[in-house]
Amino acid sequence: MNWKKFFFAFIAAFVFLFVFGFLWYATLMHDAHREVATLLRPEADLKSYFGWLALGQFVMAFFFTLLCARYIPGGRAGAGAMLGLLVGLVYAGPHLISFAVQPLTFKILFGWIAGAVIQFTIAGAIIGAIYKPATEHIMYVREPSR
Amino acid sequence: MKRFIMAFIAAYIFLFVWGWLVNGVLLKDVYAESARLWRPESEMRSLFHWIIIGQALVVFAFVMLYASGFAGGGVIAGIRLGLLLEIAAIGMRLGFYAVQPIPGKLIFYGSIGGIIEMVIVGAMVGAIYKPAPSRTS
Repeated sequence: MNWKKFFFAFIAAFVFLFVFGFLWYATLMHDAHREVATLLRPEADLKSYFGWLALGQFVMAFFFTLLCARYIPGGRAGAGAMLGLLVGLVYAGPHLISFAVQPLTFKILFGWIAGAVIQFTIAGAIIGAIYKPATEHIMYVREPSR
Repeated sequence: MKRFIMAFIAAYIFLFVWGWLVNGVLLKDVYAESARLWRPESEMRSLFHWIIIGQALVVFAFVMLYASGFAGGGVIAGIRLGLLLEIAAIGMRLGFYAVQPIPGKLIFYGSIGGIIEMVIVGAMVGAIYKPAPSRTS
């Protein structure tokens, strides 16, 4: 594992997940969320729970970066994006289940699913572009002369 | 392809039974404490197909992930994938806890149940799915 590159990839992923989450869920979907106000904490309470939100994004970014480093040991944005797409789909499943058990609207369901898929695809591409394996793990093999 | 389908079916059956056991039986009283956050039972029953589709999507994407990047590593690689995905999902649960008045108990027990669930799903997929042998000319 190339820990230096891992660290940069993790920081980039964390910043991206945080900014995307704010833009997508808190800004674009703000009105949709307010349609089901009883399911949400009052806006005044949100500030006191902000630490949990930040911790959640931190955990998500760290372990997603770890997953990318194991899945695409050679790096590359395209491979990272493909991994992110599949991870986004894994996390979209629980949103469908939430729709069945919580009084969510279709607008929220589609917003959450699209958000998860877009967010993880882009995060995967960013990590794939930044993370590269340490050079001591690359083995050069001389081709036999013909 | 045959192994893919077998891994999908086995993991799906487990996920379905485990989901019912944890959420429908073991945590029933914890859910009852926050009844206003959930649909009435009759409504949930009429939307049950969304649960089936959601669980199928989780398992399908999991087996795809395993087949495209972890296959060949066997049970250990499957468990590792399940663990990494679930711990990242705990981060997502903490995000939900920050914005929804979900009892902390439910997040805690749900996360423990989730880890056990994904470790077993990973082990099953790792044990069943085998990559096709590469052809040599």
